[in-house]
Amino acid sequence: MSITSDILRGHTEAIILSHLLDQDSYGYQINKDIMKKTDNRCELKEATLYSAFRRLEQAGYIRAYWGNEKVGARRRYYAITEEGRGAYQSYKRDWEEAKNDIDRLLK
Amino acid sequence: MNETIRKHIEELFAEAPKTRRAVDLKEEIIQNTMEKYQDLRKEGYQEEDACKIVLNSIGDVKELFSELEDPNPLRLSEEDRKKKAMLKAIAASLYVLAVGVYASCMMASVIFSAGAPHLGMLGIVSAALICIPATGMIVYAACMYPDFHKNQDTLVEGYKERAYTRNREKAVRISVNAIIWLLTVTLYFVISFATFYWHVTWILFLVGGCAQAVAALVFSLRRDR
Repeated sequence: MSITSDILRGHTEAIILSHLLDQDSYGYQINKDIMKKTDNRCELKEATLYSAFRRLEQAGYIRAYWGNEKVGARRRYYAITEEGRGAYQSYKRDWEEAKNDIDRLLK
Repeated sequence: MNETIRKHIEELFAEAPKTRRAVDLKEEIIQNTMEKYQDLRKEGYQEEDACKIVLNSIGDVKELFSELEDPNPLRLSEEDRKKKAMLKAIAASLYVLAVGVYASCMMASVIFSAGAPHLGMLGIVSAALICIPATGMIVYAACMYPDFHKNQDTLVEGYKERAYTRNREKAVRISVNAIIWLLTVTLYFVISFATFYWHVTWILFLVGGCAQAVAALVFSLRRDR
């Protein structure tokens, strides 16, 4: 558990990008997905999540827009850009390599 | 209970910079936190427990504040700042050189008193000629304000743009005046020493005054447009 959440924090930006590949999403939805996929073991702090959003926005990998919910507060959605897809692909390749290396080292 | 959450987040943002981005982030966090709270309530959590859970999960937002500052539109980029400093340094050394040339010519004219008027003229003219590129550099450096574009069509942004344009115009105006008077003095000495019509050539200073008035007119006409 502690290993996962430590590693998770280092990959926040790539995790966000991968969640946006198929459809636009917003902060809480992404966090919910992370919890679901890790059987409620991992959750990102809001501050971690939002500083990652800001960094991705500045890099031009995602862009934000306000949703038009009829009821309640409006959600702030994020969409991935072409540059973001490219960054995700190269990150994914790097990660596969690193994972193989670490698996070999821990054997 | 919704109010408690909102108030808590408002308090977290009390020290945040007062920018559009900070307000956006605050609204975003409030919205996401509310949604999470409602989900927890649906799962059967008591009001107090649900409230405690969502407030604990926010974390330290202070680390986000530095990213919420607006970039200062009047600050030059690092590269431009270096360029500007370099231009000013070169201009300053050219001025020093001009004084040196003038002084040595004067000294030479005292020592070889035979060629006095010509050496003296040479000194003044070459000193003035050296001053011209130096002044040009200062004008160029003064014009190196970054372009200011309104971010939004608001009153404040409009005011900033006007104030900014005024500063830039003032810098250019001062530099143009400096060039006009430098040229006038140079021409005065060149023509006077060449022709020895000292009783006529002082008129050049009136011409210089006219040129300055014309420059002022051009500036005010451009501003009105």
